[in-house]
Amino acid sequence: MSKLSTSAKVYLAIVFIVLYAPIFYLVFYSFNSGDSMTNFQSFTLDHYKAVFEDSRLLVILINTVIVALLSALISTIIGTLGAIGIVTVKDSKMRNTLLSLNNVLIVSPDVIIGASFLILFTMVGIKLGFASVLLAHVAFSVPIVVLMVLPKLLEMNKSLIDAALDLGASKKDVMMRVILPYIQPGIFAGFFLALTYSLDDFAVTFFVTGNGFSTLSVEIYSMARAGISLTVNAISGLVFFVTILVVVGYYFFTSRTSKRTGGQQ
Amino acid sequence: MKSLIQATIAILVVSALLMYAADAMSANGGKSGKDTLTIFNWGEYIDPDLLKQFEKETGIHVIYETFDSNEAMMTKIKQGGTAYDIAVPSEYMIEKMKEENLLLPLDKTKIPNFKNIDPYFLDLPFDDNNEYSVPYFWGTVGIVYNPDLVGDLDFSSWEDLWDPSLKRKVFLVDGAREVIGMGLNSLGHSLNSLDDHELRQATNKLITLAPNVKAIIGDEITPLMINNEAAVALTWSGQAADMLFENEDLDFAVPEEGSNLWFDNMVIPKTSKNVDGAHAFINFMLKAESGAQNADYVGYSTPNIAAMNLMDKEVVTDERFYPSEEQRKKLEVYKNLGPEYLGKYNELFLEFKMSIR
Repeated sequence: MSKLSTSAKVYLAIVFIVLYAPIFYLVFYSFNSGDSMTNFQSFTLDHYKAVFEDSRLLVILINTVIVALLSALISTIIGTLGAIGIVTVKDSKMRNTLLSLNNVLIVSPDVIIGASFLILFTMVGIKLGFASVLLAHVAFSVPIVVLMVLPKLLEMNKSLIDAALDLGASKKDVMMRVILPYIQPGIFAGFFLALTYSLDDFAVTFFVTGNGFSTLSVEIYSMARAGISLTVNAISGLVFFVTILVVVGYYFFTSRTSKRTGGQQ
Repeated sequence: MKSLIQATIAILVVSALLMYAADAMSANGGKSGKDTLTIFNWGEYIDPDLLKQFEKETGIHVIYETFDSNEAMMTKIKQGGTAYDIAVPSEYMIEKMKEENLLLPLDKTKIPNFKNIDPYFLDLPFDDNNEYSVPYFWGTVGIVYNPDLVGDLDFSSWEDLWDPSLKRKVFLVDGAREVIGMGLNSLGHSLNSLDDHELRQATNKLITLAPNVKAIIGDEITPLMINNEAAVALTWSGQAADMLFENEDLDFAVPEEGSNLWFDNMVIPKTSKNVDGAHAFINFMLKAESGAQNADYVGYSTPNIAAMNLMDKEVVTDERFYPSEEQRKKLEVYKNLGPEYLGKYNELFLEFKMSIR
């Protein structure tokens, strides 16, 4: 990674510009005092003020974040255990079947997952709202976490476990002190992917929201019918900013811990 | 391992704090019953101040949710899970909901402000006697165009769409009834035609429009028109009003041969837990002051005569959005075609789409 050729640098720069340009364009216009994204008139913070004055929108924003955090946390726990479970299955046919079932859930269309959840929840009698949205998000995030953790588990040298057992570690010790630390990067990757999936899911969420509980994606979809207002830009800008903070915080956190453990893994 | 536990605790603490914050901001949320009212409406389709006023006046807490298509709205109401007290579907969807037995009949004695509505908008084919529905906003289907880009065409006739100068400049909404209806209207037929010969004629006529058609799309047309990237679009007057608001160069016309008259209406779904509150809300929205305030905010045409008296004269005399009685005679509300002809319309629309390349 130390030396990149000039052409590689240029290529990389272009890729990043293409990826970030739409976001900066959107954030730029959130400071527009005009009413649309056609021409920039002058700088204003009015749209941000509008977001903070609209308590309904704020509650929806907070709800979105809560659901994302909790569903990512729960699905990370379930998914990690699931991945460990899949790896320990000896029969390769059985293991492949389990993996395929996991993958089917990833590729099946959101609309269908959403509609099936709506039918399931109303059949079982779960009231639509926070619980139903959380459950649905956990459900579609688990397969993703499994897929992120699995490669780490597969690349792990089995002799590590044998060595630990030979040295007298209990099964619990092996899990806590060998396996989990080793697959930790996969776990965090799974968590963050689950988080983004939850934040931007519209199709599943639309079906399972209710009783005044809504998330940002659902709200923005229905707002967009009358043309995207700059309030949407402002709120998207806020979300983007918070995301950057979280990512920077995460890297700061991991680089600190890796320094402490002597730069290993 | 330690960092995993730390991260877990951090997430839980943050979530708990956020939950506390959300709870403090929305006291009394999430319960439905006597003192709350759950409203299901299109996005950006009400002045939020009106909800606050209503809460203040009646002490009923409002839970407001939004949807972005009639079909999605009906799915959620039909499936249950949330007790919606008010919904605002379009006319054809009301017919469907009636058939599926999803609506409660209205008690007009609880809606004295019903008298504010222009009789022209009452007692229409989709809901005789307004047994289940009260008009909320209405409009037409017409052509929004950019005079700078179309020469001297003014779209007083549907024929103008066929003008050779518009080669690959026309956008159409992706709706079988709107487009086939336009074809029928352009030949002077009813847009509810059940005559196979007329339908054939209309489709053939539409196929000759194919060279002019640039795309058949949905809401994406709004930004295209606003940014002067498109010249002509067949669309609903409500959407056109949004475009005209953003870009004053645009103009809107409803061709003289006739067109569609559409409605969005307030209804009370069967699942309602607060029927009295729902009536109170309908009555509140029909008040002259609320009607005027809402129409000012949303920018669509109101069916409320009393409200029109309170509104800016320039707005309510704008014949593009409040057509004169003479023009209105040409407007038709969609009738339920029945599954057989609905399928036929869709098939013909598909045939037309396939003729475009």
